[in-house]
Amino acid sequence: MSAEEASETPDGVDIADGIDHQVAMVMDLNKCVGCQTCTIACKNLWTDSGGREYMYWNNVETKPGEGYPRGWEELGGGWQSDDHTDRQVGEIPGGEDYGEPWEFDYESTLFTGESEHVEPEQDPQWGPNWEEDQGAGEYPNSYHFYLPRICNHCTHPSCVEACPRSAVYKRAEDGIVLVDQDRCRGYRYCVEGCPYKKIYYNAQRKKSEKCLFCYPRVEGEGPDGETHAPACAEQCPTQLRLVGFLDDPKGPIYKLVEEYGVALRLHPEFRTQPNVYYIPPFAPPQHSEDGETIDVERIPRNYLEDLFGEQVHDALDTIERHRTRVENGGESELMEILQDQNPARQYRLDVFEGGEGRAD
Amino acid sequence: MPTERRRQAVAVVVAALLVAMAVGPAVVASRPAYEIPVREADDGARFADPGADAWLNTSSVEVPLASAPSGAPNASDVTAERANVRVVRTESELYVRLEWADPTANRSAAGPRQFPDKAAIELPVNASARPPISMGSTGTPVNVWVWSATGGTEELLAGGPGTTTRFANATVAANATHEDGHWAVVFHRDLHASNENRTDVALENDLNVAFAAWDGANMERGGHKAVSEWYYLPFAPDDGGPPYEAILWGIAGLAVVLVVATTIEGVRRARDDDGGN
Repeated sequence: MSAEEASETPDGVDIADGIDHQVAMVMDLNKCVGCQTCTIACKNLWTDSGGREYMYWNNVETKPGEGYPRGWEELGGGWQSDDHTDRQVGEIPGGEDYGEPWEFDYESTLFTGESEHVEPEQDPQWGPNWEEDQGAGEYPNSYHFYLPRICNHCTHPSCVEACPRSAVYKRAEDGIVLVDQDRCRGYRYCVEGCPYKKIYYNAQRKKSEKCLFCYPRVEGEGPDGETHAPACAEQCPTQLRLVGFLDDPKGPIYKLVEEYGVALRLHPEFRTQPNVYYIPPFAPPQHSEDGETIDVERIPRNYLEDLFGEQVHDALDTIERHRTRVENGGESELMEILQDQNPARQYRLDVFEGGEGRAD
Repeated sequence: MPTERRRQAVAVVVAALLVAMAVGPAVVASRPAYEIPVREADDGARFADPGADAWLNTSSVEVPLASAPSGAPNASDVTAERANVRVVRTESELYVRLEWADPTANRSAAGPRQFPDKAAIELPVNASARPPISMGSTGTPVNVWVWSATGGTEELLAGGPGTTTRFANATVAANATHEDGHWAVVFHRDLHASNENRTDVALENDLNVAFAAWDGANMERGGHKAVSEWYYLPFAPDDGGPPYEAILWGIAGLAVVLVVATTIEGVRRARDDDGGN
């Protein structure tokens, strides 16, 4: 949908029943360089110990590829239809599909000199990011891109419905999906039920755990008392993430998702209605055997359609159109939003009740 | 002679009826359905080990198990079909031994797809109540003693499906063995409980009890389990059965004797009449 065609109002935004506002994130895949800074920011903050070593609440995987956990897109979960009554059967990934955390013998390399290299003590056969940069296609037309993933804090979260104890819930003030650690008994129906496999089982604590959208940061519970976007967003060197509310009509997320239709849900066919959106990736055109540029897209459209649904065609066309307009000396609000470097506009988390008016 | 034979026949019938009247009620009442006999013993410690010889001469009941009603995926697919249950009480403790077939001992929950074997005993918090069997209700909560093959024992309070709450400290202990494709688990706890949310086994009323087993290899957990119906432990004082039981049996016996005697007399008169013609 282009700006000219846009007629949605915030009231038309589909947020879950009983939710006041819905946090959302847009990730521009054209800016991701696969540096994993977001992954490490998250891991240092939330998952560096205590049975969480194998977890990556934020991961960055290379596409096309198996991803993390391996083959997650084929493990089921989500909903059978758009009326969200019957869930799709799902599977729990195996430990080997996540990749067991590796141990390293730093002592013998760094201190005693017995070994020349720091190597994993095991002989790992798989792990997160195992197939980094592998992608698909043949030289000179091979291709890949990076896909950062967190919990999508879905509007219709099948993990919430899967839990027989109502331990997984979508909190009313901002739609963040959380696991009540007192209620959870580690049955892992949520792990089965999430089609994105973004809930993880902590075998030490015998509870399921997940990305919590850094809600203490969002609530300003840190030492400075200020509202902060999730660590994965703020630490990103290329600032590819926008954070705010889907129902904030002045915010860039609303504009990208609802007005321009260029920020898309990953695997919409799972029908959980994620609130993490992606600007689909562009790539240089293909080359002929003699090295000439030819008018053929490098990343096959049907692959992007598999990931982002049919809307990807309109989204790519819209971005292309606006890019051309700017190249020709014209103006485009869409291009300005996608290139904005003002943190106050990138991260709009104080716009509703109790907000400090950080975004203006 | 025919008259003598008739008298003998009548005597045999009457004697048989008297024997039936005397033995019949005892046979019928020997073990009511859903009753699990409780052996009384002095020394409880010798029953703590599920493999102890002391269990060999303790009466057992085969309790059928079937899948629990649950919305969980594959909930109807459960492994355990029956459990062998034995119960012993001492003056101060209750021992319950469950044994059921499970070819594989799943003792670990260390991986995301690993689930441990488990067993549980459900009791009404109010020992005289009969709560809904699926984890009780708000008004009639249940206690659940859970043994896990990981080695832990939990005590839970529940007031309906999905409401289980764990007591901070379990007062139930459990010991388990896995031999020849069978788990045997002995739960034991003091009869009396100080906490009002725990079942106090006061030995004043029959105590309802139900059983559950989870097969970790079949990824059974939560509501995905094999469960029994309510059984009971006959703790009510033995008053010889309901007061009307003997009266009913007496009336029934007299009626049978009367019918037989009338029939015999009728047959005899008919033959006499035939002989007169």
